Amino acid sequence: MTDKEIFQKIMELKNRGLPVCLATIVEAVGSTPREVGAKMLVCVDGTLYGSVGGGCGEDQVRSAALRCLLATKKPELLEVRLTDDLGTKGGDVCGGTMRIFVEPM
Amino acid sequence: MEAIARIAELIQNGETFCLATVVESSDSNVPVGRKAIVLKDESIEGGFGADQLNTRIRDLALNAIKGNVRRIVEPESGVRVFLDVLSEESRLLVCGAGHIAVPLARFACQVGFRVTVLDDREDFAHPSRFPDCDVIAEDFTTALRDMPLGTSSYVVVITRGHEHDVDCLGEILKKGAAYVGLIGSRRRVRIVLEGLENVGISRKRLQEVFTPIGLPIGAESPDEIALSIISELVCVRRKGAAQARILRKAVGIGL
Repeated sequence: MTDKEIFQKIMELKNRGLPVCLATIVEAVGSTPREVGAKMLVCVDGTLYGSVGGGCGEDQVRSAALRCLLATKKPELLEVRLTDDLGTKGGDVCGGTMRIFVEPM
Repeated sequence: MEAIARIAELIQNGETFCLATVVESSDSNVPVGRKAIVLKDESIEGGFGADQLNTRIRDLALNAIKGNVRRIVEPESGVRVFLDVLSEESRLLVCGAGHIAVPLARFACQVGFRVTVLDDREDFAHPSRFPDCDVIAEDFTTALRDMPLGTSSYVVVITRGHEHDVDCLGEILKKGAAYVGLIGSRRRVRIVLEGLENVGISRKRLQEVFTPIGLPIGAESPDEIALSIISELVCVRRKGAAQARILRKAVGIGL
């Protein structure tokens, strides 16, 4: 999704009264699946729009976003390490680290 | 207006701007999540309270816009701000609505281009062939004369005949664009470029045209050729035209 589509989707969800969290990669060190500025939306029912890296780390982002939407209502700066051992089943093995800012809209 | 509505509006209007968001803060006056929008004309909307901090953010944001660089800055000890650069959408203009245009327009939409397709044949330049695209059925020269092109414009010339290629490029090369590509065999391309030189387009300008078009992946079918062109567009958008030329030169194209 382009930035334009992301912000259009936020407006659409807000107009329907649906809480949504925006997750943005704000820092990336080493090999990461997506670049700084990449965005993903997490809805309160767990629906995702856009991507901050395919499988890599998105579960962690989704959990943080739901925590933010359902409990804390506060933004959170998340560190996602993609440094699982190569043998790990379904592991995040890209090798890099990214920081993702998760904020309720 | 609420920040998000304003951001959506600015993007919709095709503005390029910087969205500054506090991501870490030890200063209770500048809470995490606080936002400021800095426009190209150096104006700031929203902001972080203190004038000095706003000025610093504005200067950093303007640099971010200029260099198209997204990063975290620390305008004040203990306050870390993410600078995001939100730009005008990339636009792709496809001149010629033939059999390559169909997959090309479809792929381009998928990778985030806003696509316009132009042809003088109404049955080809028909909205039913190009979902989610702006479709113009008009004489090439007339349509292109009034069409604004700029640094976020990408143009692919794939008309049905070399005389139409000359008409299209004659108008397009008078304006600036991030990318101009021309399809064709070596012979056809040579005829088109000679035709353009004869009508006064400089040789330097003609050398900037990506022709033969597309990254060299051995494409043969219309879908494959469209994919090769899209690969080149993505490369130019992400890495710049110089990088796309390096890839071509590596296999001896465009030397």
